[in-house]
Amino acid sequence: MHELSLARSLIEQILALAAEHRARRVNRVVVTLGPFSGVVRDSFEFGFNILKQEQEPVREAVLELETPDPEYVCRDCDKVAVIPFPRQSERLELARCGLAAKKCPWCGSNRLSPRGGTELILNQLEME
Amino acid sequence: MCDTCGCQLHEHHHHDTKVVEVNRSLLEANQKQAESNRHHIEHMGAVAINLISSPGSGKTTLLERTIDELKASCSIGVIEGDIETERDADRIRAKGVPAVQLTTGGACHLDAPMVHGGLHVLEHFAKGRPLDLIFIENVGNLVCPATFDLGEHRRVVLLSTPEGSDKPAKYPATFKSADLMLITKVDLLPHFDFSVEEAAGQARALKPELEIITLSATTGDGFAGWLAYLRGLLAQRTAHEH
Repeated sequence: MHELSLARSLIEQILALAAEHRARRVNRVVVTLGPFSGVVRDSFEFGFNILKQEQEPVREAVLELETPDPEYVCRDCDKVAVIPFPRQSERLELARCGLAAKKCPWCGSNRLSPRGGTELILNQLEME
Repeated sequence: MCDTCGCQLHEHHHHDTKVVEVNRSLLEANQKQAESNRHHIEHMGAVAINLISSPGSGKTTLLERTIDELKASCSIGVIEGDIETERDADRIRAKGVPAVQLTTGGACHLDAPMVHGGLHVLEHFAKGRPLDLIFIENVGNLVCPATFDLGEHRRVVLLSTPEGSDKPAKYPATFKSADLMLITKVDLLPHFDFSVEEAAGQARALKPELEIITLSATTGDGFAGWLAYLRGLLAQRTAHEH
Protein backbone atom coordinates (compact mmCIF):
# COMPACT_ATOMS: atom_id res chain seq x y z
CA MET A 1 0.00 0.00 0.00
CA HIS A 2 3.01 2.30 0.35
CA GLU A 3 3.61 1.97 -3.40
CA LEU A 4 1.45 5.03 -4.00
CA SER A 5 3.55 7.26 -1.75
CA LEU A 6 6.73 5.96 -3.41
CA ALA A 7 5.25 6.65 -6.86
CA ARG A 8 4.42 10.16 -5.68
CA SER A 9 7.97 10.82 -4.51
CA LEU A 10 9.27 9.45 -7.82
CA ILE A 11 7.12 11.92 -9.74
CA GLU A 12 8.30 14.80 -7.53
CA GLN A 13 11.90 13.76 -8.18
CA ILE A 14 11.28 13.61 -11.95
CA LEU A 15 9.58 17.01 -12.04
CA ALA A 16 12.49 18.59 -10.18
CA LEU A 17 14.99 17.04 -12.61
CA ALA A 18 12.92 18.09 -15.63
CA ALA A 19 12.90 21.67 -14.36
CA GLU A 20 16.63 21.55 -13.66
CA HIS A 21 17.32 20.38 -17.23
CA ARG A 22 14.73 22.76 -18.72
CA ALA A 23 12.89 19.85 -20.30
CA ARG A 24 9.31 20.26 -21.47
CA ARG A 25 8.46 16.62 -21.50
CA VAL A 26 9.68 13.39 -19.97
CA ASN A 27 9.39 10.41 -22.34
CA ARG A 28 10.92 7.55 -20.44
CA VAL A 29 11.73 6.77 -16.83
CA VAL A 30 13.94 3.82 -15.84
CA VAL A 31 13.65 2.58 -12.28
CA THR A 32 15.23 -0.39 -10.52
CA LEU A 33 13.06 -2.16 -7.95
CA GLY A 34 15.18 -4.47 -5.82
CA PRO A 35 13.56 -7.87 -5.25
CA PHE A 36 13.51 -7.26 -1.47
CA SER A 37 12.55 -3.59 -1.64
CA GLY A 38 9.10 -4.47 -0.35
CA VAL A 39 7.52 -2.83 -3.39
CA VAL A 40 4.91 -4.64 -5.43
CA ARG A 41 5.71 -4.00 -9.07
CA ASP A 42 2.12 -3.89 -10.38
CA SER A 43 0.88 -1.58 -7.61
CA PHE A 44 3.81 0.76 -8.14
CA GLU A 45 3.22 0.90 -11.89
CA PHE A 46 -0.50 1.43 -11.33
CA GLY A 47 0.18 4.29 -8.87
CA PHE A 48 2.65 5.94 -11.23
CA ASN A 49 0.28 5.78 -14.20
CA ILE A 50 -2.54 7.34 -12.20
CA LEU A 51 -0.43 10.10 -10.66
CA LYS A 52 1.40 11.09 -13.85
CA GLN A 53 -1.87 12.31 -15.35
CA GLU A 54 -1.96 15.17 -12.83
CA GLN A 55 1.32 16.62 -14.14
CA GLU A 56 1.76 17.90 -17.70
CA PRO A 57 5.53 17.20 -18.10
CA VAL A 58 5.17 13.52 -17.19
CA ARG A 59 1.72 12.79 -18.60
CA GLU A 60 3.16 10.73 -21.50
CA ALA A 61 6.09 9.26 -19.59
CA VAL A 62 6.62 5.52 -19.95
CA LEU A 63 7.84 3.75 -16.83
CA GLU A 64 10.40 0.99 -17.42
CA LEU A 65 10.96 -1.18 -14.38
CA GLU A 66 14.07 -3.27 -13.96
CA THR A 67 13.70 -6.02 -11.39
CA PRO A 68 16.90 -7.94 -10.70
CA ASP A 69 16.57 -11.57 -9.59
CA PRO A 70 16.70 -12.18 -5.84
CA GLU A 71 19.90 -13.49 -4.26
CA TYR A 72 20.08 -15.53 -1.08
CA VAL A 73 22.82 -16.69 1.24
CA CYS A 74 22.35 -20.16 2.65
CA ARG A 75 22.86 -20.13 6.42
CA ASP A 76 23.85 -23.81 6.35
CA CYS A 77 26.42 -24.03 3.53
CA ASP A 78 27.20 -20.28 3.15
CA LYS A 79 26.82 -20.44 -0.64
CA VAL A 80 25.01 -17.75 -2.62
CA ALA A 81 22.08 -18.71 -4.82
CA VAL A 82 20.08 -16.69 -7.33
CA ILE A 83 16.50 -17.94 -7.25
CA PRO A 84 14.04 -16.02 -9.46
CA PHE A 85 10.57 -15.40 -8.07
CA PRO A 86 8.12 -17.76 -9.77
CA ARG A 87 5.48 -16.19 -12.01
CA GLN A 88 1.93 -16.03 -10.71
CA SER A 89 0.85 -18.93 -12.97
CA GLU A 90 3.85 -21.03 -11.91
CA ARG A 91 3.18 -20.37 -8.24
CA LEU A 92 -0.07 -22.29 -8.33
CA GLU A 93 1.56 -25.17 -10.17
CA LEU A 94 4.44 -25.27 -7.67
CA ALA A 95 1.96 -25.18 -4.80
CA ARG A 96 0.03 -28.08 -6.34
CA CYS A 97 3.25 -30.13 -6.49
CA GLY A 98 4.22 -29.14 -2.94
CA LEU A 99 7.29 -27.29 -4.22
CA ALA A 100 6.38 -23.75 -3.14
CA ALA A 101 9.11 -23.52 -0.48
CA LYS A 102 12.52 -22.21 -1.58
CA LYS A 103 15.47 -24.49 -1.01
CA CYS A 104 19.22 -23.99 -1.35
CA PRO A 105 20.21 -25.49 -4.72
CA TRP A 106 23.59 -26.54 -3.23
CA CYS A 107 22.62 -28.31 -0.02
CA GLY A 108 18.80 -28.39 0.07
CA SER A 109 18.49 -26.31 3.25
CA ASN A 110 15.52 -23.95 3.60
CA ARG A 111 17.46 -21.53 5.81
CA LEU A 112 17.93 -18.95 3.09
CA SER A 113 18.55 -15.32 3.92
CA PRO A 114 17.88 -12.54 1.38
CA ARG A 115 21.07 -10.79 0.29
CA GLY A 116 20.95 -7.09 -0.73
CA GLY A 117 18.16 -6.29 -3.13
CA THR A 118 16.47 -3.55 -1.09
CA GLU A 119 17.33 -0.82 -3.62
CA LEU A 120 14.74 1.54 -5.16
CA ILE A 121 16.58 3.63 -7.72
CA LEU A 122 15.68 6.18 -10.34
CA ASN A 123 18.32 5.27 -12.94
CA GLN A 124 17.63 7.20 -16.07
CA LEU A 125 15.34 9.82 -17.58
CA GLU A 126 14.77 10.59 -21.23
CA MET A 127 13.54 14.14 -21.67
CA GLU A 128 13.01 16.70 -24.39
CA MET B 1 30.85 9.29 -22.38
CA CYS B 2 28.38 9.70 -25.20
CA ASP B 3 28.78 6.97 -27.83
CA THR B 4 27.30 8.95 -30.71
CA CYS B 5 29.46 12.07 -30.68
CA GLY B 6 32.26 11.11 -28.28
CA CYS B 7 31.70 14.14 -26.04
CA GLN B 8 32.50 13.94 -22.35
CA LEU B 9 29.07 15.07 -21.25
CA HIS B 10 27.01 12.79 -19.10
CA GLU B 11 23.91 14.06 -20.86
CA HIS B 12 23.15 13.12 -24.42
CA HIS B 13 21.52 15.74 -26.56
CA HIS B 14 20.54 14.42 -29.96
CA HIS B 15 17.31 15.28 -31.73
CA ASP B 16 16.34 17.48 -28.82
CA THR B 17 15.90 14.53 -26.53
CA LYS B 18 18.42 13.86 -23.85
CA VAL B 19 19.03 10.96 -21.57
CA VAL B 20 20.12 11.79 -18.07
CA GLU B 21 21.72 9.21 -15.80
CA VAL B 22 20.20 9.90 -12.42
CA ASN B 23 21.06 6.97 -10.20
CA ARG B 24 19.34 8.29 -7.10
CA SER B 25 17.21 6.49 -4.56
CA LEU B 26 13.45 7.01 -4.66
CA LEU B 27 13.69 7.31 -0.91
CA GLU B 28 16.14 10.21 -1.16
CA ALA B 29 13.73 12.83 0.18
CA ASN B 30 12.69 10.59 3.07
CA GLN B 31 16.32 9.70 3.78
CA LYS B 32 17.38 13.36 3.93
CA GLN B 33 14.55 14.18 6.31
CA ALA B 34 15.41 11.11 8.42
CA GLU B 35 19.03 12.30 8.78
CA SER B 36 17.80 15.72 9.75
CA ASN B 37 15.41 14.16 12.31
CA ARG B 38 18.32 12.21 13.80
CA HIS B 39 20.34 15.42 14.20
CA HIS B 40 17.31 17.14 15.68
CA ILE B 41 16.84 14.32 18.22
CA GLU B 42 20.54 14.30 19.10
CA HIS B 43 20.46 18.06 19.49
CA MET B 44 17.59 17.57 21.95
CA GLY B 45 19.94 15.17 23.80
CA ALA B 46 17.66 12.19 23.20
CA VAL B 47 17.75 8.68 21.76
CA ALA B 48 14.89 7.55 19.51
CA ILE B 49 13.40 4.10 19.03
CA ASN B 50 11.10 3.09 16.17
CA LEU B 51 8.67 0.36 17.29
CA ILE B 52 7.28 -1.80 14.50
CA SER B 53 4.85 -4.72 14.70
CA SER B 54 1.51 -6.02 13.53
CA PRO B 55 -1.59 -4.48 15.18
CA GLY B 56 -2.28 -5.84 18.65
CA SER B 57 1.15 -7.25 19.44
CA GLY B 58 1.51 -5.04 22.51
CA LYS B 59 3.45 -1.91 21.50
CA THR B 60 1.39 0.46 23.62
CA THR B 61 1.25 -1.92 26.60
CA LEU B 62 5.03 -2.29 26.36
CA LEU B 63 5.35 1.49 26.46
CA GLU B 64 2.99 1.83 29.44
CA ARG B 65 5.06 -0.53 31.56
CA THR B 66 8.36 0.93 30.29
CA ILE B 67 7.18 4.38 31.35
CA ASP B 68 6.17 3.09 34.81
CA GLU B 69 9.60 1.51 35.26
CA LEU B 70 11.75 4.33 33.89
CA LYS B 71 9.78 7.49 34.60
CA ALA B 72 11.69 8.23 37.81
CA SER B 73 15.12 7.92 36.20
CA CYS B 74 14.62 9.40 32.74
CA SER B 75 12.37 11.68 30.78
CA ILE B 76 10.31 10.02 28.03
CA GLY B 77 8.33 11.34 25.06
CA VAL B 78 6.17 9.34 22.66
CA ILE B 79 5.07 9.83 19.05
CA GLU B 80 2.14 7.58 18.20
CA GLY B 81 1.29 6.62 14.63
CA ASP B 82 -2.16 5.33 13.79
CA ILE B 83 -4.55 5.52 10.90
CA GLU B 84 -7.26 6.95 13.15
CA THR B 85 -8.00 8.02 16.77
CA GLU B 86 -6.08 9.50 19.71
CA ARG B 87 -6.55 6.36 21.82
CA ASP B 88 -2.89 5.39 22.08
CA ALA B 89 -1.68 8.92 22.85
CA ASP B 90 -4.37 9.17 25.54
CA ARG B 91 -3.10 5.95 27.15
CA ILE B 92 0.45 7.35 27.21
CA ARG B 93 -0.65 10.77 28.52
CA ALA B 94 -2.47 8.98 31.35
CA LYS B 95 1.02 7.92 32.47
CA GLY B 96 2.06 11.57 32.74
CA VAL B 97 4.30 11.57 29.67
CA PRO B 98 4.04 13.92 26.67
CA ALA B 99 2.57 12.14 23.66
CA VAL B 100 1.81 13.28 20.11
CA GLN B 101 -0.73 11.40 18.04
CA LEU B 102 -0.01 11.34 14.32
CA THR B 103 -3.04 10.11 12.43
CA THR B 104 -2.09 9.13 8.90
CA GLY B 105 -5.63 9.18 7.55
CA GLY B 106 -5.21 5.87 5.77
CA ALA B 107 -1.45 5.63 5.19
CA CYS B 108 -0.02 2.32 6.33
CA HIS B 109 3.27 3.63 7.73
CA LEU B 110 4.94 6.71 9.21
CA ASP B 111 7.52 8.56 7.13
CA ALA B 112 10.30 10.94 8.10
CA PRO B 113 8.43 14.19 7.24
CA MET B 114 5.49 13.16 9.48
CA VAL B 115 7.88 12.41 12.33
CA HIS B 116 9.61 15.76 11.80
CA GLY B 117 6.29 17.50 12.44
CA GLY B 118 5.69 15.21 15.41
CA LEU B 119 9.04 16.10 17.00
CA HIS B 120 8.18 19.80 17.02
CA VAL B 121 4.81 19.15 18.64
CA LEU B 122 6.45 16.82 21.16
CA GLU B 123 8.91 19.56 22.16
CA HIS B 124 5.97 21.91 22.58
CA PHE B 125 4.17 19.39 24.84
CA ALA B 126 7.36 18.77 26.84
CA LYS B 127 7.30 22.51 27.78
CA GLY B 128 11.07 22.96 27.74
CA ARG B 129 11.78 19.81 29.73
CA PRO B 130 14.62 17.92 28.00
CA LEU B 131 13.76 14.40 26.78
CA ASP B 132 16.10 11.42 27.14
CA LEU B 133 14.15 8.75 25.32
CA ILE B 134 11.73 9.16 22.42
CA PHE B 135 9.59 6.23 21.33
CA ILE B 136 8.00 6.36 17.90
CA GLU B 137 5.21 3.81 17.73
CA ASN B 138 4.69 3.04 14.05
CA VAL B 139 1.37 2.14 12.44
CA GLY B 140 0.58 -1.52 13.17
CA ASN B 141 1.87 -3.26 10.02
CA LEU B 142 4.67 -5.75 9.42
CA VAL B 143 5.26 -4.75 5.80
CA CYS B 144 5.37 -1.08 4.80
CA PRO B 145 7.10 0.58 7.80
CA ALA B 146 10.30 -1.37 7.05
CA THR B 147 11.06 0.83 4.02
CA PHE B 148 11.00 4.19 5.83
CA ASP B 149 13.84 5.44 8.05
CA LEU B 150 12.30 7.90 10.50
CA GLY B 151 15.56 9.16 12.00
CA GLU B 152 15.54 6.61 14.81
CA HIS B 153 18.69 5.28 16.51
CA ARG B 154 17.33 1.77 17.00
CA ARG B 155 14.58 -0.16 15.26
CA VAL B 156 12.72 -2.63 17.45
CA VAL B 157 10.28 -5.18 16.05
CA LEU B 158 7.74 -6.90 18.31
CA LEU B 159 6.42 -10.39 17.74
CA SER B 160 3.70 -11.54 20.15
CA THR B 161 3.21 -15.22 20.93
CA PRO B 162 -0.40 -15.43 19.60
CA GLU B 163 0.84 -14.39 16.14
CA GLY B 164 2.85 -17.58 15.64
CA SER B 165 6.58 -18.21 15.39
CA ASP B 166 6.71 -18.20 11.59
CA LYS B 167 6.38 -14.43 11.20
CA PRO B 168 10.11 -13.63 10.70
CA ALA B 169 10.20 -15.96 7.66
CA LYS B 170 6.93 -14.53 6.32
CA TYR B 171 7.91 -10.85 6.73
CA PRO B 172 11.68 -10.94 6.13
CA ALA B 173 12.19 -7.27 5.20
CA THR B 174 10.90 -5.99 8.53
CA PHE B 175 12.76 -8.48 10.73
CA LYS B 176 15.97 -8.05 8.75
CA SER B 177 15.83 -4.28 9.15
CA ALA B 178 15.47 -4.44 12.95
CA ASP B 179 18.20 -4.06 15.58
CA LEU B 180 16.24 -5.87 18.28
CA MET B 181 13.35 -8.33 18.26
CA LEU B 182 11.10 -8.44 21.30
CA ILE B 183 9.05 -11.60 21.69
CA THR B 184 6.10 -10.27 23.69
CA LYS B 185 3.23 -11.84 25.68
CA VAL B 186 5.40 -14.76 26.82
CA ASP B 187 2.95 -15.21 29.71
CA LEU B 188 0.62 -16.69 27.06
CA LEU B 189 3.13 -19.31 25.87
CA PRO B 190 1.28 -22.21 27.56
CA HIS B 191 -1.86 -21.37 25.56
CA PHE B 192 -0.40 -20.98 22.08
CA ASP B 193 1.58 -23.15 19.72
CA PHE B 194 4.52 -20.73 19.67
CA SER B 195 8.14 -21.80 19.69
CA VAL B 196 10.60 -19.15 20.89
CA GLU B 197 13.40 -21.26 19.44
CA GLU B 198 11.77 -21.39 15.99
CA ALA B 199 11.05 -17.64 15.92
CA ALA B 200 14.59 -16.82 17.04
CA GLY B 201 16.05 -19.30 14.54
CA GLN B 202 14.12 -17.80 11.64
CA ALA B 203 14.99 -14.24 12.63
CA ARG B 204 18.69 -15.05 13.04
CA ALA B 205 18.71 -16.83 9.65
CA LEU B 206 17.77 -13.44 8.22
CA LYS B 207 20.15 -11.47 10.42
CA PRO B 208 22.64 -13.37 12.57
CA GLU B 209 23.51 -10.36 14.76
CA LEU B 210 19.88 -9.54 15.66
CA GLU B 211 19.39 -9.11 19.42
CA ILE B 212 16.41 -10.92 20.91
CA ILE B 213 14.63 -10.40 24.24
CA THR B 214 11.56 -12.32 25.41
CA LEU B 215 9.21 -10.58 27.83
CA SER B 216 5.72 -10.05 29.14
CA ALA B 217 4.58 -6.49 29.84
CA THR B 218 1.72 -7.94 31.92
CA THR B 219 3.72 -10.07 34.37
CA GLY B 220 7.05 -8.22 34.01
CA ASP B 221 8.77 -11.50 33.12
CA GLY B 222 11.95 -10.73 31.10
CA PHE B 223 11.36 -7.00 31.42
CA ALA B 224 14.70 -6.41 33.15
CA GLY B 225 16.52 -7.32 29.91
CA TRP B 226 14.57 -4.71 27.95
CA LEU B 227 15.17 -2.02 30.58
CA ALA B 228 18.89 -2.89 30.59
CA TYR B 229 18.91 -2.52 26.78
CA LEU B 230 17.36 0.95 27.08
CA ARG B 231 19.71 2.00 29.89
CA GLY B 232 22.61 0.82 27.70
CA LEU B 233 21.44 3.12 24.89
CA LEU B 234 21.13 6.05 27.28
CA ALA B 235 24.62 5.38 28.65
CA GLN B 236 26.07 5.28 25.11
CA ARG B 237 24.41 8.59 24.37
CA THR B 238 26.00 10.17 27.45
CA ALA B 239 29.36 8.73 26.42
CA HIS B 240 29.01 10.43 22.99
CA GLU B 241 28.26 13.77 24.59
CA HIS B 242 31.43 13.86 26.65
